[in-house]
Amino acid sequence: MSMEDYDYLFKIVLIGNAGVGKTCLVRRFTQGLFPPGQGATIGVDFMIKTVEIKGEKVKLQIWDTAGQERFRSITQSYYRSANALILTYDITCEESFRCLPEWLREIEQYASNKVVTVLVGNKIDLAEKREVSRQKAEEFAETQSMHYLETSAKESDNVEKLFLDLACELISEAKQNMLLNNVASPLPGEGKTISYLNCCSFN
Amino acid sequence: MAERALRIPERIEEITEPEELERLYQQLCEEERTVEAELESFVNQKGSIAAKMIALQRMGPNLQLIEGDASQLSGMIKFTCNLAENVSSKVRQLDLAKNRIYQAIQRADDILDLKFCMDGVQTALRNEDYEQAAAHVHRYLSLDQSVIELSRQGGEDSMLDTNLSLLQEAEQHLKVIVAEKLDQAIKEGDLPQVERFFKIFPLLGLHEEGLGRFSQYLCTQLASKAAQNLQLAMGVELSEARAALVFADTLTLLFEGIARVVETHQPIVETYYGPGRLYTLIKHLQVECDRQAEKVVDKFIERRTYHRKFQVVQNNMMRNSSERIEPRELDPILTEVTLMNARAELYLRFLRRRITSDFEVADSAAPEGITQEHQKSLEKLLNDCLLSRNMQELIGYYITMEEYFMKETVNKAVAMDTYEKGQLTSSMVDDCFYIVKKCIGRALSSSSIDCLCAMINHATSVLESDFREVLFNKLRQGFPATTLQDIQRGVSSAVSLMQSSLQQGKFDTKGIESSEEAKTSFLVTLNNVEVCSENIMTLKRTLENDCAKLFSQGSGKGDQARAKIDSCLSDLVAVSSKFKDLLQEGLTELNTTAIKPQVKPWITSLLSISHNIEEEEFNEYEANDPWVQQFIVSLEQLTTEFKAGLSSVIYDNLTSLITSLIATELEKTVFKSIFSRLGGLQFDKELRSLIAYLTTITTWTIRDKFARLTQMATILNLERVTEILDYWGPNSGPLTWRLTPAEVRQVLALRIDFRSEDIKRLRL
Ligand SMILES: Nc1nc2c(ncn2[C@@H]2O[C@H](COP(=O)(O)OP(=O)(O)O)[C@@H](O)[C@H]2O)c(=O)[nH]1
Ligand SMILES: [Mg+2]
Repeated sequence: MSMEDYDYLFKIVLIGNAGVGKTCLVRRFTQGLFPPGQGATIGVDFMIKTVEIKGEKVKLQIWDTAGQERFRSITQSYYRSANALILTYDITCEESFRCLPEWLREIEQYASNKVVTVLVGNKIDLAEKREVSRQKAEEFAETQSMHYLETSAKESDNVEKLFLDLACELISEAKQNMLLNNVASPLPGEGKTISYLNCCSFN
Repeated sequence: MAERALRIPERIEEITEPEELERLYQQLCEEERTVEAELESFVNQKGSIAAKMIALQRMGPNLQLIEGDASQLSGMIKFTCNLAENVSSKVRQLDLAKNRIYQAIQRADDILDLKFCMDGVQTALRNEDYEQAAAHVHRYLSLDQSVIELSRQGGEDSMLDTNLSLLQEAEQHLKVIVAEKLDQAIKEGDLPQVERFFKIFPLLGLHEEGLGRFSQYLCTQLASKAAQNLQLAMGVELSEARAALVFADTLTLLFEGIARVVETHQPIVETYYGPGRLYTLIKHLQVECDRQAEKVVDKFIERRTYHRKFQVVQNNMMRNSSERIEPRELDPILTEVTLMNARAELYLRFLRRRITSDFEVADSAAPEGITQEHQKSLEKLLNDCLLSRNMQELIGYYITMEEYFMKETVNKAVAMDTYEKGQLTSSMVDDCFYIVKKCIGRALSSSSIDCLCAMINHATSVLESDFREVLFNKLRQGFPATTLQDIQRGVSSAVSLMQSSLQQGKFDTKGIESSEEAKTSFLVTLNNVEVCSENIMTLKRTLENDCAKLFSQGSGKGDQARAKIDSCLSDLVAVSSKFKDLLQEGLTELNTTAIKPQVKPWITSLLSISHNIEEEEFNEYEANDPWVQQFIVSLEQLTTEFKAGLSSVIYDNLTSLITSLIATELEKTVFKSIFSRLGGLQFDKELRSLIAYLTTITTWTIRDKFARLTQMATILNLERVTEILDYWGPNSGPLTWRLTPAEVRQVLALRIDFRSEDIKRLRL
């Protein structure tokens, strides 16, 4: 891995109800397009995008998951190795917002406790159809100590910001962990801390 | 010149000075001379100009001739041009005339055909010769509609009008008859008649309808066969060989039946309906397939209490309930479900292949848009069909249950861990990997890439968290110390053991019965850890091979699927290095707690052997070795236990740590000793014996670790202080000094016979 051309590798997993725009967000960020009428995601897909942040090459491995219940157990198996989760809902669909606590339970159960979680309200281009106010979502995110961001995959609003800010945060966390690990005891850490660290490859 | 002529008379009156006049005169004379010269040269040219004039005059008549010829030519060209234009316009007229004649003939033909069709269709219908009637209608339908319009507009023939409406009536009539006949044949299950009328539909332009009705027939057949098969399956005795796979088998029969239907009827569809129509047929058949497959799946869920089992597993994993299910009980169902999915995948791949190649033939000249449209509808059909969704649901439950099966069985293997004397590892490592391989292998056999990846992820998690934790905790209990000062350490490790047990929420009831047992347990765990890291690599390689096989059979969506598996496998591989790290930590622990406390006093005992010796003591040492032999014997005793109890790779790692430890400790000790010339020689001998011994117990190179000590021995062996310069700096030759100049002085100072002024004076 260290032979490859990047300083960090992070796994980001997108979750949330079907139809909220996860696939569109990933495609907008990785391919710069808004796909017309593609079918619903089956199982999981992943795409890679390498970005440069303050002179460091960051490889983002972005896993796009299917929101339907029947794919839940496939999706769950990816939580544990994720460095970050993007929990997405659709601001024009109250239902997708109401399901968030259920998703948070999944995160609680399966993800590493070090995982960075961002709440994303997508489809802000459809402002006239908004069903969930920004304030409500912000408050909710606050109670769950998540970041909150509103995006439009269609208009490419905040999509770049979403992923780049996340990458920045992951880098600074990784750096902090490096420091902690260097002063660790001779039998360091139980599984999780190490697993988190080793996800980043320091060349 | 004109300028000059003007200038002079004007100014001549104004000139008052004789010098000026003189100068002007000179100038005029000058100019006169030039003019004269010019005139001269003109006169000289006169001859040649005259000759040229004569030649020109001679050419005059010739030019007149040429002019005449040219105007004649131009006239001819103009004429030819007109001629050509005339001809080509006539040709154009001819062409137009010809085209009109052709059109007229075509129209006449069409009208004749139309008349022929009108007559023919009536006769054919009367004779119940539906094929013939349809052929006439087909001919009529393929006529240019504008021709028919034109024929009517002609107005000269009202017969045509009547006949035309008769023909249209006949067409409608025929459509009704054919549909009725086909339905009747379907009801009677009369295959020859079904096929007969099925072939007529495309002639009437009713492709979709024909395929629809025909599929209905095929679906009825499939349904009754499927019902029979399910009936049979329900009656299968539990004792029968394939009872545990009966639902997978029933599903297989259904898929094979549909595949056979497709194979049988594809030719007739291709021949009579043309390429590109298979999709429509299969779309209809898939509806029946979905219906029948769901029945099988429902029965499977009911009979195997699939949902109930899932619920128990789910609750148990979420720690919502303590109701447990025996993993063994899940085993056959998990196998059956993966087989069901594999069959469905195989069937869907078959459909994809058939439809794709049929579209390829049809779309060979089609625009990109159409091809994409077809591709999209194919994907939609295969991805969104109820069968796919049903299977995805079953696999969804399967993954959770397989995860439970793997975790529970691994826990059981850990709980039942046994160690047989003489073995390096204990049973749980082999057992654990057997289970992990079995579960991943089963996921692989489902042919679902996402299912496989999910199980690889779960395996990674079980190995990295659950299993590694077990080994980690065992290593944390430490290697029991035996010497006095280590009893304290033993106490502290017992405390940490208690803490770890408390953290786990339970006491290790086995405890440590004897230090011997604890020692073995520690060493066996080290071996276990090493085998784990190797087994993971083997598992990864095996999986890579298996996946390559899966892909070569055309499973999955190529690159994307491969990338997913690679990514999941690389997470698995990362666990291997975590086991390697754990091994290294365990060895370091062993080295510091068990080996160092023993080896260190053996080395410091060197301090009690004087190296400030003369000839007599040197000889005495020669006869009765004071230190190194005993040290070697002790080392030998110490390492025997490890050599027997550890795998050769780990033992080698350990001896490497031991030799490093010896080198460090010995160096410290030497710095605390003093040496005479012969004492230096004695130490050199001792060091050589020690290195010779250590070389035999390890495959690592010792020389490097002992480089500093060897150099120290060299220094202690010098005759004079200045002799060091023979080996230092430019004289060092192949020798690379590992000692700093300060250290060299420090070592020199250990020699009691070297004067400190001499050492200070040295320029290093
Ligand atoms: N107006 C609008 N529509 C969007 C946006 N993002 C996604 N969609 C639409 O929402 C539907 C579902 O999107 P998709 O990415 O497949 O959702 P997923 O199931 O979460 O992956 C599609 O029809 C998209 O075109 C957006 O930002 N604005
Ligand atoms: Mg999607």
